[in-house]
Amino acid sequence: MNSLFFMYLTNGIVMGIIFALSALGVSLIVGIMNVINFAHGELYIFAGYISYILSVKLGISFYFAIPIAILTIFIIGILIEESLIKPTYGNDMYSLIITFILSIVLQNFALLVFGPFPNKPPNWISGATNMFGLFRYGNQRLVSCLAAIGIIIIVFLLIKKTWFGKTIRAVSQDRETASLMGIDTSKVNMLSFGLGCAIAGAAGVVLAPIFPVTPLAGVEISLIAFIILVIGGMGSLWGCIIGGLIIGIVQSFGAAYISSGYKDIFGFIILILVLFIRPSGLFGRKAL
Amino acid sequence: MLEVQNIDIYRGETQILWDVSFRINQKEIVAILGANGAGKSTLIASILGLLHPVSGKIIFRENDISKISSHAITRMGIACVPEGRHIFQDMTVLENLEIGAYSKRARPSLNKNIKWVFDLFPIMNERKNQLGGTLSGGEQQMLAIGRALMSKPDLLLLDELSLGLAPKITIDLLKTIETLRDENTTILLVEQNVEMALNHCDRSYILETGKISIEGTAQELMSNDHIRKAYMGI
Ligand SMILES: Nc1ncnc2c1ncn2[C@@H]1O[C@H](COP(=O)(O)OP(=O)(O)OP(=O)(O)O)[C@@H](O)[C@H]1O
Ligand SMILES: [Mg+2]
Repeated sequence: MNSLFFMYLTNGIVMGIIFALSALGVSLIVGIMNVINFAHGELYIFAGYISYILSVKLGISFYFAIPIAILTIFIIGILIEESLIKPTYGNDMYSLIITFILSIVLQNFALLVFGPFPNKPPNWISGATNMFGLFRYGNQRLVSCLAAIGIIIIVFLLIKKTWFGKTIRAVSQDRETASLMGIDTSKVNMLSFGLGCAIAGAAGVVLAPIFPVTPLAGVEISLIAFIILVIGGMGSLWGCIIGGLIIGIVQSFGAAYISSGYKDIFGFIILILVLFIRPSGLFGRKAL
Repeated sequence: MLEVQNIDIYRGETQILWDVSFRINQKEIVAILGANGAGKSTLIASILGLLHPVSGKIIFRENDISKISSHAITRMGIACVPEGRHIFQDMTVLENLEIGAYSKRARPSLNKNIKWVFDLFPIMNERKNQLGGTLSGGEQQMLAIGRALMSKPDLLLLDELSLGLAPKITIDLLKTIETLRDENTTILLVEQNVEMALNHCDRSYILETGKISIEGTAQELMSNDHIRKAYMGI
């Protein structure tokens, strides 16, 4: 084993965690509401744009830019749910079509307002760190990865430990019985859609310094998120983490040892393999 | 406590309940009895606000609840043990009980009520960190009752308590229900096991294809020839 191997491994894990975070929001929404949010990637890039505008154009420090961007996406998510998703309850196909159209509208909106060129908020940190004396790895990537881990842990604690999390799990397991416990299930829908979008936004602000946002950058984010969703099992949060890590690591090694030109194909190959072996995904359905 | 007045209930285009009326007084166990498909579960769903009557009223403590949504009705003090239990499978026993105390009226006395449920069903205490889906049928029924009790309801609705349980376990549960009544919880029991229910209730109504056909005290119904023939095989 040489130091290159460890570098590819590290990069795979870092990317895997980042992918997991990008998929977490869609997974949450699918698990709770059975709604597939195709506009996920666009909410991600809008968070990136908002943090870019706040920090580059308005000169606000990223300590403030980040929470403002996430909060804005949370509110946008709630507005989307109340206006577009709520009328489709009970028909999963309508919500699918509506979020798909929304994603195209948002892409064009981004193109009009921000132009076709990549935009990037400043790095939080510069330089690189020597990893175990083997190789040097960019500090911004390390810090973004740590932030992603932090956000994932917060989401898990929210879901496992709080009353809100318990109501989310109850609704995702048995909506009607949850309402018999006194839970207002439409309110849970609204808040969890907002939360799912906010997680997309969080991924956007954490990753924008590494991957500059363009109007179409959301497409790739959505694509990887859906691959992870299917690999891990619809609506399973653990599936999301494991699925993200698998994709990240395979992409990293595949790009290094086979060809970087095929980077995006590796995800699909794994997807097909998993579907052959376990059609319901690695973690089945509903294990929030 | 609860008064159902001439309700007509539809599921989609089909009328399931026809002009159904009955009442439950405070501290009573009332049984609604009937064969498969008579409309018993539909009746429970209507009281709980999962279905709304096209005509008629449902009065709970002076309020018409027939148009209120189910989560609001639960918060007013009605709880239910649904047919087939509907335990939250991927949540622990303790979490199932906690979610039963979700409503604001119940949350302050959460710990007290958990202790109360554990006293009623000590096995729940032993199993408290186990996932709901891993419990046996009888244990799941206890958990469903415990979860309903966590909201300290004034009115408890039980749909098909005996379903899939050994007779001895059902009778033990019914005895627990009688204790609850003596402690001031009002109970609506829905059953197809007529004989067992009549042995443990105060009054009863017979529901036949969506209509109430006979009503009376448990004693009266037990000596009614039609009921003995049609439902008890005597
Ligand atoms: N979701 C539904 N949609 C349409 N019809 C339904 C639905 N649920 C029940 N029904 C019909 O309503 C009628 C009454 O059903 P209900 O479940 O209330 O009967 P029940 O008395 O509870 O029967 P059981 O003893 O089998 O539980 C039945 O004819 C049934 O087919
Ligand atoms: Mg029934």
